[in-house]
Amino acid sequence: MKSIIEVKNLTKEYRNLKALNNLSFDIFEGEILGLLGPNGSGKSTTINCILSLLNYNSGSIKIYNQEMQPDAYNIKKDIGVIFQDIAVFEELNVYDNIDYFCGLYVKNKDERKELIKDTIKLVGLEDFIKFYPKQLSGGLLRRLNIACGIAHKPKIIFLDEPTVAVDPQSRNNILNGIKKLRKQGATIIYTTHYMEEVELLCDRVIILDKGKIIASGTCDELKELINIEEKVTVEGIDINKNLLKKIRDLKNLKNINNHEKTLIITYQKGKNNLIKLIDFLKQENLPYSKIYSERPTLNDVFLELTGKDLRD
Amino acid sequence: MFYHNFKYTLKRLLKDKMLIFWTFAFPLILGTFFKMAFSNIEEKEKLELINIAIVNNEEFENNIYFKEVFKNLSNKNNKERLFKTKYVSESKANILLQKDKISGYIVLKNTPKVVVINNGINETIIKQVVDEISSQEKIIKDIINIETSNYLNNDLFKKNSISNDFSSSIYKKALKTIENSSIKLNDTSNKNLSYTMIEFYTLIAMGCLYGGILGMVAINQTLANMSRSGKRVAISPTSKLKLILSSSIASYLIQLIGVFLLFIYTIFILKVDYGNNLFYVIFLIFLGCLAGLSQGVGVATISKSCENTKTGILIGTTMLGCFLSGMMGITMKYIIDKNLPIINMINPANMITDAFYTLYYYNTPDRFYYNIISLLIFSGIMIFISVLSLRRKKYDSI
Repeated sequence: MKSIIEVKNLTKEYRNLKALNNLSFDIFEGEILGLLGPNGSGKSTTINCILSLLNYNSGSIKIYNQEMQPDAYNIKKDIGVIFQDIAVFEELNVYDNIDYFCGLYVKNKDERKELIKDTIKLVGLEDFIKFYPKQLSGGLLRRLNIACGIAHKPKIIFLDEPTVAVDPQSRNNILNGIKKLRKQGATIIYTTHYMEEVELLCDRVIILDKGKIIASGTCDELKELINIEEKVTVEGIDINKNLLKKIRDLKNLKNINNHEKTLIITYQKGKNNLIKLIDFLKQENLPYSKIYSERPTLNDVFLELTGKDLRD
Repeated sequence: MFYHNFKYTLKRLLKDKMLIFWTFAFPLILGTFFKMAFSNIEEKEKLELINIAIVNNEEFENNIYFKEVFKNLSNKNNKERLFKTKYVSESKANILLQKDKISGYIVLKNTPKVVVINNGINETIIKQVVDEISSQEKIIKDIINIETSNYLNNDLFKKNSISNDFSSSIYKKALKTIENSSIKLNDTSNKNLSYTMIEFYTLIAMGCLYGGILGMVAINQTLANMSRSGKRVAISPTSKLKLILSSSIASYLIQLIGVFLLFIYTIFILKVDYGNNLFYVIFLIFLGCLAGLSQGVGVATISKSCENTKTGILIGTTMLGCFLSGMMGITMKYIIDKNLPIINMINPANMITDAFYTLYYYNTPDRFYYNIISLLIFSGIMIFISVLSLRRKKYDSI
């Protein structure tokens, strides 16, 4: 695949704080790249630097092999951004908001009309075109925010936490919309701290912490990094130290965590780990309310690599 | 792109209720309050008619100029009437003066004599009017003498002796001088009485400078570090200069509409007199609004504070500027002009107020042009600083 964005040794400092620490990565044409990390890890700063909104101390950013600058209009015309904060005008209705932002990219009125029509359909705002932003719910407002960023059909789309504080229906709508955009050929850079969204959407993931890339690859590649095959959770169990020791001796077990009547056991490899555990609990006559098995998530990867939770 | 942004800036600004209040409604409300407050003061402080007497002796009856001027200044139908005049004998005038029925009386013997027993404003006015009439009378006499001697020395006269043209030409010249002098006298007295005009001039100045809030808001919406929408605008492939220019012109247009509404309101409802130079007054409004706009753009680009703080800065500086240029009383303007002239030299509110004042009070344009050039320099500096700070802008933080 062709690299269309090239970030090399990007460093950005706020006084004594290194917001971005020697970041280097490529973004390939047609992919959905996830930038994953907790709040303050540098996701938005990275995007703002790429968009030439923020100064940076060192490094280089190239888009289409050309240095990105505030006046690089030939690059900017292909970019669309959906910011974390709602960026629309309160004084304009839904249609006018989309028309205004689309008009900054597309001069031709008829062409714009068609694009706006398609976008309104894509985000599902057909019934709200005369509504003003203050008349819209949080989810609909997010959809408008997205529409304003993509109406001009950009080839590169930056989505900065677009589903924060969104109801499930709007969230599904947004995620489906992103899939459609990708089908239409757009390259998408998606930042979030919701690992489920990353796993659902992204071809490749870069995990950031304290402005540094701590891991990158596909979801499966990242999971392999931490060598966890299975995670079993037992809820509502009261267990003593002796029994805990016995569990520790079970085969393939990597780690055990007992907290507030919940037992979380991670296994490195092997099959039938859950059945073996159920048999053991039965044998020891230990009651519990719920038991389930999961494949490891990106949160486990993050936990393993940094020692903290993604949502901390 | 230019028209697109211009159109939507107009739409956005006109739908912003707070902005519309400050730009359109607030100056009208303030002007109405001014009228209510100051018209009472002015009514109270208006000069009352001065009771005088003129001794109707033979000399007075023969002095047409004196007679006509006093007739005019005592005429009930004259808006600039100064005197309530009684034509009496000298003894009767003396009695009236003793009984305090009149402030003074005038006797024309070889020279006009003003007789008073007190020393106050009324007495001073009577004396000044009589002196003014005497000096004008002297000018007329001089003209007649010069014209007569010119005519007598003329060859044509020597050949044809006295003709009708001679008396007619002298008569016309003298009459013209009388007409001019009487107009001059009336105008001066009128303007000195209406000092509250300056409050309304500062009101127009305030209207012009408040327009800066429109400019500031319009520009803020294109700056990535000032608004969320500004971030979106900043990443678009549109020249920032084009965006700022079209936004500025849109806000300038709304600002002009606001100030012209105020201007019309002050003329027709508040009865403010701007003098006879309407073209210059309108030109001044255009320039005042430009100064307001450039001030708004300057504050928007230079200051990193949030929009509310910037609005506060603009309202605060405008109100202070208007206060210093005489909005709450003309005395303040005089105090600043006398003791700290530099303040009013750099105060755009004063530049606008002073230009209005100059148009109304003075016939010479020098001081008006000085104010116009000052406003142009002020606007130029603000725009230059704004353009410098906006070129190829990236931010340290947003």
